Amino acid sequence: MLYEVKDLKKTYGDRTVLDIPELILERGIIYSLLGPNGSGKTTLLEILALLVPPKTGEIRYENTRIDFIGDNLTSLRREIVMVQQDPVLFTTSVYKNLEFGLKIRGVSKRERGMLIRESLDLVKMHDFVDAEAHKLSGGETQRVAIAQALVCSPKVMLFDEPTSSVDAESQIDIENIIREINSQKEISVMFTTHNLTQASRLSYKVISLFEGRIAPQRFQNIFNGRITTDGHGNRSCLIHDKIKLPVRTDKTGDVKLSIDPMKIMIFPDQGPGPEENIFVGRVIQMIYEHDGVRAIADIGVPLNIILSRKEVKDRHLFVGDDLRISCPSDATEVL
Amino acid sequence: MDFLIDSFLSAILILWSFNPDVYFIIYVSLKVSLSATLIASLLGIPTGFMISFKEFRGKRAVIIVLNSLMALPTVVVGLLVYAFICRKGLLGILDLLYTQTAMVIGQVILIFPIVTSLTIAATSRVDERYRKTAMTLGAGPLQTALVIFRETRFGIIAGVIAAFGRVISEIGISMMLGGNAKGYTRTMTTAMALEYDKGEFVLGVALGMVLLLISLTINIFFKYIQGRSGA
Repeated sequence: MLYEVKDLKKTYGDRTVLDIPELILERGIIYSLLGPNGSGKTTLLEILALLVPPKTGEIRYENTRIDFIGDNLTSLRREIVMVQQDPVLFTTSVYKNLEFGLKIRGVSKRERGMLIRESLDLVKMHDFVDAEAHKLSGGETQRVAIAQALVCSPKVMLFDEPTSSVDAESQIDIENIIREINSQKEISVMFTTHNLTQASRLSYKVISLFEGRIAPQRFQNIFNGRITTDGHGNRSCLIHDKIKLPVRTDKTGDVKLSIDPMKIMIFPDQGPGPEENIFVGRVIQMIYEHDGVRAIADIGVPLNIILSRKEVKDRHLFVGDDLRISCPSDATEVL
Repeated sequence: MDFLIDSFLSAILILWSFNPDVYFIIYVSLKVSLSATLIASLLGIPTGFMISFKEFRGKRAVIIVLNSLMALPTVVVGLLVYAFICRKGLLGILDLLYTQTAMVIGQVILIFPIVTSLTIAATSRVDERYRKTAMTLGAGPLQTALVIFRETRFGIIAGVIAAFGRVISEIGISMMLGGNAKGYTRTMTTAMALEYDKGEFVLGVALGMVLLLISLTINIFFKYIQGRSGA
């Protein structure tokens, strides 16, 4: 076991930004931490990087209880490196930026040169070894920051929104680098993102955070909506003024609505199926995950549907197929 | 106008003649002021770092007091130190009055708030990500502080230069604690004041030129270093 977190709370003033009763992370795999802005992703990552102490709770790293004081913390921190969102490099050369962590670890000069070249090769930045780090572009800075972390040979690498400040091409490169780091170097990885498809295609396990709490998988479709009541007192939730779903709730006005992706039912474009509460949509993306297939359908808003591989195979489901989609009332939850 | 031009030309002649008395005055000024700047920096920069990065009760009040002390009049410092080191004072037994050491003590007290306040100003503006990057790469508290120092070095050095400028050009402390003793505690500014009292302006102008030259040299050197670092 890599991390064991219990009853973790982090507050800023009166505001609780993290409240996690339990979280267990295994060694050697890629985790993604998914959530909207302000959901506590960065705070959790900084706590796992041992940079910020929690208000209360217990964190165990490789079965060692972290007390967040003393020299022991610095030595443990040397096993875990975090690459920040929009990272900064020290105002010196790329080489010296990478050398920093190695010098701290007492690595010999000859070995330092070898490791630095190896890390820059992995991020395809070997030509920039003598460049002034603060003059690099956003994408180049991101790659050098990854190399700077990687050169320290950590056991764990934590990435905060690693592709948020780079273009589409660099995004794919960085995702490939993260895969390589995990598969070749056997480094445990956790990254934060608000992009569900990125989380799904890159990580073995997606952990969803919502308002500082770990949200169940059913919270993967969250929409802003408004509760409306018809003449018979039946309540519905209107999403983006486009989709109307019947809900059971006492709440009124603006709400957040969750639709459980496991409970959404799909039917062929034509043929038998329910007549009410049905939406027509088109499959715009399909991602094979380790325990199923995530189909994203456009029903006016993008909707995540999780299907078994067998179901996808039996239905001959492909991107571009039109579907009828039903969201039963037990699939919806007003938050 | 002729008087100024004559004084200026005579001043150049004095400097050109390498008069040992004049150069000894310059030497004392530099020795005392550089010593005071060095000591104040060694004390003020770490203090500034600590105040900047530690959270404690009354932190804002401490910063306000330090900022206010930047405008401390030299005669106030002179009086304060005099009260301690005069024969009847608490430290009178050390016999420090009218020595270069006394001048250094006074000047350190004068510029410690300047170095500390400007270090706080430079480091508190530094991007938090530098600290976190250093820490996550495995740096301990001292190594992290060195990273912050590196990233803010120009702001801090500018503070040190401002402090040096304050002490090399001050007169109150040098006069009250040094006593303007020829060949021992006479500095450029106390010599200039004396020459003015005597109605002799030539040496005063010469020393004034040296003061400006020192300031210019230091600033050119600072800009050169800054340019080399690409900052």
